[in-house]
Amino acid sequence: MFHVARGLNMTFAERMLKIDRRIIFLVIGLCTLLPLLYPVGLPIKISPEVRGVYDHIESLPEGSVFLLSLDFDPASKPELHPQSISLLRHAFRKNLRVIAMTLWVSGTGMADQVITQVAREMGKESGKDYVFLGWSPGGTAVIINMGQDLYGAFPADYNGKPTKGLPVLHGVANLRDVNYAVSLGAGNPGVEAWYVFGKDKYKFELGGGCTGVMAPGLYPLLRSGQINGLIGGLRGAAEYEILIGQKGKAVAGMDAQSATHLAIIVLVIMCNLFYFSSRNRARQQGQLGA
Amino acid sequence: MKRKTLNVKCENARSACGAILLIAGILCLSDSPVFAQTTLSPPQDIRVFDTPSDGGGSLTVLWSPAPDDSASIRYQVLLSEGTAVPDPAAMKVVAEFPANQRYVRESKWPWWTRPATGDHHQFTLRNGRGVELKNETTYSVTVARVSGEDRVIATPVQATPQPNWLNWNQMNNLLLALLFGGIVFYAISTARKREIFLRRIPGLDAVDEAIGRATELGKPILYLTGAHDMSDPSTIAAAVILGRVAKRTAAYGTDLLVPHRDPITMAVCQEITKQAYLEAGKPDLYKDDSNFFITSDQFSYTAAVDGIMLRKKPAANFFMGHYFAEALLLTETGASTGAIQIAGTDADHQLPFFVTTCDYTLIGEELYAASAYLSREPVQVGTLRGQDIGKALILGVLGVGTILATLGVLLDMQWPQLFLDIFKDVK
Amino acid sequence: MIFLRRQVPLLITLITGVVFAAQYYVPHPASEQMLTSATKWLQIIGGFALVLGVSSLFHVHAVKIRRKEAGWGYSFVLYVSMLGTIAVGFWSNGKEAVDGASTAFGWIYNFMMVPLQGTMFAILAFFIASAAYRSFRARSREAAVLLIAAVIVMMGRVPLGEYLIPLSGDLSQWILNVLNASVRRAILIGVSLGTVALSIKIIFGMERSYLGGGKE
Repeated sequence: MFHVARGLNMTFAERMLKIDRRIIFLVIGLCTLLPLLYPVGLPIKISPEVRGVYDHIESLPEGSVFLLSLDFDPASKPELHPQSISLLRHAFRKNLRVIAMTLWVSGTGMADQVITQVAREMGKESGKDYVFLGWSPGGTAVIINMGQDLYGAFPADYNGKPTKGLPVLHGVANLRDVNYAVSLGAGNPGVEAWYVFGKDKYKFELGGGCTGVMAPGLYPLLRSGQINGLIGGLRGAAEYEILIGQKGKAVAGMDAQSATHLAIIVLVIMCNLFYFSSRNRARQQGQLGA
Repeated sequence: MKRKTLNVKCENARSACGAILLIAGILCLSDSPVFAQTTLSPPQDIRVFDTPSDGGGSLTVLWSPAPDDSASIRYQVLLSEGTAVPDPAAMKVVAEFPANQRYVRESKWPWWTRPATGDHHQFTLRNGRGVELKNETTYSVTVARVSGEDRVIATPVQATPQPNWLNWNQMNNLLLALLFGGIVFYAISTARKREIFLRRIPGLDAVDEAIGRATELGKPILYLTGAHDMSDPSTIAAAVILGRVAKRTAAYGTDLLVPHRDPITMAVCQEITKQAYLEAGKPDLYKDDSNFFITSDQFSYTAAVDGIMLRKKPAANFFMGHYFAEALLLTETGASTGAIQIAGTDADHQLPFFVTTCDYTLIGEELYAASAYLSREPVQVGTLRGQDIGKALILGVLGVGTILATLGVLLDMQWPQLFLDIFKDVK
Repeated sequence: MIFLRRQVPLLITLITGVVFAAQYYVPHPASEQMLTSATKWLQIIGGFALVLGVSSLFHVHAVKIRRKEAGWGYSFVLYVSMLGTIAVGFWSNGKEAVDGASTAFGWIYNFMMVPLQGTMFAILAFFIASAAYRSFRARSREAAVLLIAAVIVMMGRVPLGEYLIPLSGDLSQWILNVLNASVRRAILIGVSLGTVALSIKIIFGMERSYLGGGKE
């Protein structure tokens, strides 16, 4: 009876602590939707991590070989797709020879779409300016095989054209001939696999891109110089779009991310206020009872 | 007298003018190539040899520094195939750089393989980018010094690139790996002889509590083994812990649900569960379909497991193994059903979500330690001890290394590098 | 039989484990060739594993449909979807687009798989908020420190946060680059030592759970 009575006499703070999750979901939903409909456009500061990737691509001479591994599936599209678009635009603008591929089978279609779309936009020709190798089973085994013999790992590109003899791959026998590789990874295999099985063995320069959740875990690699730059999450993609001077979905999404972060902070502060309030009340009731 | 004085004065003036003109002439002429040519000396003490500790196709060239090495003087590395070199000037120039660059100290030689002192010049010829070096073929290599239009070439030296069977640069890596392996074996043999103290891990103590709670409520236990396959240490650790959990559920008669993402892991876990029920003396309670395969796709599996949690409402959820983005989807759904949740993962990027939503979390190698803690088997406990000794060693090296590196920089000393190189990863 | 089930796999594990551990220190082209051959075999087996995964799925759900177990309707939907996608995939030659035009397989990929996977991942945003509301309480000093750090990083990683509190950007960078990196490194070292120890045990046959069953 005491519990029933207590339940009926729950304070506002206690009721708020037990609030239905769906109300929180609604708040987050509105914070995501409204800024997309009514963007604000706040300035975005560029971080040294993202600048590391940008500066290295900027330093590459024309005709350098740039390998982009799109190691993500549709689940990570909102964060990594804008990163891949910005990197490809940058690479094509610098007239680099682009080798694109993926280690994730479920991301193959998406990878093909993004490279075809950006190449068409930048007036680049498949086989001559870029090649999409597609996917091959084996994960890290593919990296090792590419390190020994790229044509052995990918005898044909995604469209079935033999890779040997393609103008874009002239002088490229294996990963040692790649000037810069960037892995946009959403998990495993991803950036770490490219370092352990790729750069560590075949000595090419490596940069990384990843989802926001994974970014803190890759800072040890960044700090030790194992990767020379890191594009983390939607924020990293937005920074890269600013750097190349072509704003896209990432910059547009930053307003929504700002609102959502602020909403979560407010919710957390509120829940702590309610928590301390109900804890104090419980202590007072305990003292009165004693 | 006056005439004589005037003559003397004129004589002196003429002599002075002549001297000034002579000095001026010398100063002007000193910049001419004729003068420079006589001061340009060829590179000295050239050594060319097969680059050690590699797969072949590479030669290393070393030579002594010259006193007048500067940015205005350049070195050229010249290469030709074969032993006979009729005209060194006709050799192919494969590299050119300022004379104040390319030293041994800039290259990544550990002290036990360094071929010369740090002030010597070094250049490594490798296959690719216009250079082709075939193994077992002799090449002639030399170095030239260039200043303006002048060039002096040293006598060519012959060398043959060859593949090597051992990478001496990584011997420190091998020795440290063998040392750690030795420590683990020693710790295991110690654990076989006497009891070793293990610190209490709260998450594991909660396992019994969770299973007891599920038995009281009459609800099943859900156990997940992670996203990776059986080749991953985290999945193996999860499978070992499953054996222990299955033994307890067999003893209490609690239902066990183990959905899988990988058929091979499922097969292994089926055997482990069966064995556990046998060891608990309850083989009749064992159900073949307690371990079942759902799908290998990440989010399809997550959706299916979430559905199981919402329908069957297990009283205890165990998340052992490696997880990716599905971690929070699983644990948050589990939390909404009111289950007690125990997680153990080496996926450091998912740890925040597990810590936030689970009652107990085994962090990082605590997952590996869990199998030792539960089983108390000498092999498991000994391994744990060996890992702890390894960590203690690393801590010690970090402390000593930081002090030595700081001293080396402050006092401009080279000897701390002898210690630091032992722990450097050199390729 | 025991010899084939137990001793032979252990022997294979020992030999291949030692050989490929040693391979790391041998730069000779013969060693690299051996590694290349082994990884090619891995790729082939990886391809088979896909087939194994699909056939396991077929088998499990076929049993569910045959026995008409609870939820067998969903198994039937899974069967139809899987067979339909395979058929369409073969018909489109595995290509999502041909000369810029989307194939039927591409339609399934773009309008079913991409939105469904995106939806599952998007749920995370809502779950993070509800988990944070439920759990991010300053119950202790450590929890309070965690809370403050989380708020600083959340503010510093978005433009609005940097606009409202300019210092949050630099502070969150410091937290990520110094505090976070050092702690991650510590966890990595611990996990790596555990992985090496477990690998040594597997290679030398002291850990056999991957073969299934308990120790003899």
